[in-house]
Amino acid sequence: MCGIAGIVRAGPGRPVEEPALLRMAASLRHRGPDGFGLARGQAVGLVSTRLAILDLSHGWQPMRSQAGSVLVYNGEVYNHAELRAELSREGASFRTRTDTEVVHAMLDRRGLDALAAFNGQFALGLWEPDDQRLTLVRDRFGVRPLHYALTARGDLVFGSEVTAVLASGEVSAAPDLEGIDDVFTTWGPRPPRSAFRGIGQLRPGGVLVWERGRIVREGLWWRPDVACRDAEPTTDLGDLLRSSVGLRLQADVRVGTYLSGGLDSSLLTALAREVIGPDLRTFSLAFESAQYDESAAQQRVAGFLGTQHHVLHISARDIAAGFRDAVLHAATPLVRTGPVCMAQLARFAREHGVTVVATGEGADELFWGYDVFKEVLARRAYLRDPELTSAFDDLYPHLGHRARGPGWQHAFAAAGPADDPLFSHQVRMRATGSVAALYAPDVVAELDGQSSRERLRRSLPPEFTGWTDLQRTTWLELHTLLEPYLLAAQGDRAAMTHGVEGRYPFLDHRVFDHAMSLRPDRKLRGSQDKAVLRELAASVLPAEITNRRKQPYRAPEVAPFVGPDAPEWVQDSLTPTAVRAAGLFDPTRVEALMVRCGGGRALGQREAMAFVGVLSTQVWSEQHFGAGVVAPEQEARRPRVFLELDDERAEATA
Amino acid sequence: MTTVVPGVQVREELRAFVVESFLYLHPDLELKDGDDLLALGVIDSLGFVELVEQVESRLGLRVKDVDITGENFGSIDAMVAFVGSHRSP
Repeated sequence: MCGIAGIVRAGPGRPVEEPALLRMAASLRHRGPDGFGLARGQAVGLVSTRLAILDLSHGWQPMRSQAGSVLVYNGEVYNHAELRAELSREGASFRTRTDTEVVHAMLDRRGLDALAAFNGQFALGLWEPDDQRLTLVRDRFGVRPLHYALTARGDLVFGSEVTAVLASGEVSAAPDLEGIDDVFTTWGPRPPRSAFRGIGQLRPGGVLVWERGRIVREGLWWRPDVACRDAEPTTDLGDLLRSSVGLRLQADVRVGTYLSGGLDSSLLTALAREVIGPDLRTFSLAFESAQYDESAAQQRVAGFLGTQHHVLHISARDIAAGFRDAVLHAATPLVRTGPVCMAQLARFAREHGVTVVATGEGADELFWGYDVFKEVLARRAYLRDPELTSAFDDLYPHLGHRARGPGWQHAFAAAGPADDPLFSHQVRMRATGSVAALYAPDVVAELDGQSSRERLRRSLPPEFTGWTDLQRTTWLELHTLLEPYLLAAQGDRAAMTHGVEGRYPFLDHRVFDHAMSLRPDRKLRGSQDKAVLRELAASVLPAEITNRRKQPYRAPEVAPFVGPDAPEWVQDSLTPTAVRAAGLFDPTRVEALMVRCGGGRALGQREAMAFVGVLSTQVWSEQHFGAGVVAPEQEARRPRVFLELDDERAEATA
Repeated sequence: MTTVVPGVQVREELRAFVVESFLYLHPDLELKDGDDLLALGVIDSLGFVELVEQVESRLGLRVKDVDITGENFGSIDAMVAFVGSHRSP
């Protein structure tokens, strides 16, 4: 569950109007299709839309506690039963079986100290009327989103998604060039920025406290310590993952897993099968092109484990058809089409009656599965010994036999200076930066040298310089790719488009602590990545899966949008007039890109990212600042809860 | 199969290819034939792979792995020299 939003006023005389709250509720209906609730007082309005997963007939929000605070909460705290028992021993009593009530009681009793005890994924807003205080909190890894804006009057508007903040009518939409530059550097706007000027995001593990018109605290309640611990872990990875999967599959609705056929999702599915049994639903994407398709491995795992397996075949036409909707929900330009397919997979799961899916995100960051971990070691080795002619030969086998040899190697070495703290990500950022090369001159001038890379360097924690290359890479992957892209556009927003909740057993903080405690060679050993996960997987999966080399999840990028089957809107979005109107890219350079893509001559992923980057920016721009702007509608259904906060007796339930 | 391209056309063909494929992303760069494409950031690792493949298909060459070096493909001059020495007996 769900979607949350709200408005708090800095001063009296400007009550929060109900229509604004109804617009915010409507903008989040896809996140919470089962119903919504409101709370309203002179200086405050809160909204919750609900996707009911636990205790389906109770647990509507906003929820008021006996202490008088009011909570809106999106997500799950999985260890709520344990916390409930702890609070019960202290004399607390509960009206529902929901985790919401437990979270609320914990916050009332322990304040922000309660957060350390939460094992889960959540974003919440807690209103304490006596102090006129609003506290916003986001989970450790940023699984659940939380956006906010502080108005010139000191009012604070917040919402799960940007659209909810905009629907308040308190903030107007304008592009944030630095947020957009983040997309064209590291694939997504990095918190605290979004792609919209004046609309921020809480950072993963973030907390923000607003009191009577002022932000009095903005910081982190949790930060990932990626430094290796001195001691080997005392925990058992198999026990931890089984516990994490078990906790994340508790729901009063049908659950499933996404199965890509790779190691992480296969292991996760094997553990989920132990919990759910043969009724476990698994969902996979299949592509026409062998370059992207992993069907054979998926079928092998599903057959071996005996799950109820469902395959969604995605065509180029499907990607083109779903693209604009994916951009709308992502609320940011994109450089890949992966989110389009993930949104369609969520719809597919929902059509099969599944509202909760567990997925493998996080394993590659924690256990060093991504190629970037091997790449950084190879680049360092090459810098030490330029005679090492084969250092890069096996890095990217899916790019073919040309991705080897001295020339290939030289190109990696030339990617940037060795003393750059972002050394590990230079190659990726350089490739993604192809999009930024198309910026209009005005955009370049306005950015004025404040590149996304430079801001990223300034945002690194002080301890960063003391970390090894692999530890730095871990931190950068968590902060530049996982939260801003994989968990956002391709994760939460894609799934929530169709009211499906993604859950991430590898992002249990106990699993994180375990992974950070491991000796480096327990994760990366020569060319073998995720060594310890592969060992665990060997006990539950066939060898051809546990030894399988990672295939990056990618979907067709240029092909869906060019050629005779391409929809008309693509050409219309990319005319020089349209590009000039959006104002972000240089029409002449975009035209040159289009000529190459249209003629089927686009070369590789640099230009593919440039194409998707430009097209998505044009679509996004039209949706929010152009002819495609749609006035937000009001929620027409009756709220399931309406709390009148200024009158203790007037609590009404529809 | 070897496609015979007259020697004087090789440089123009290669130059046109590099300009069309890469330089629209670097509009302020005045590329000289001797400039190091990698050092200037005109191409990156993936661009390098793409470049070699295009040289093969456009000029009908088969490039051995050991010949894919910065010395042979790092600049337009280098490619012209490489193609010249491999195109004909």
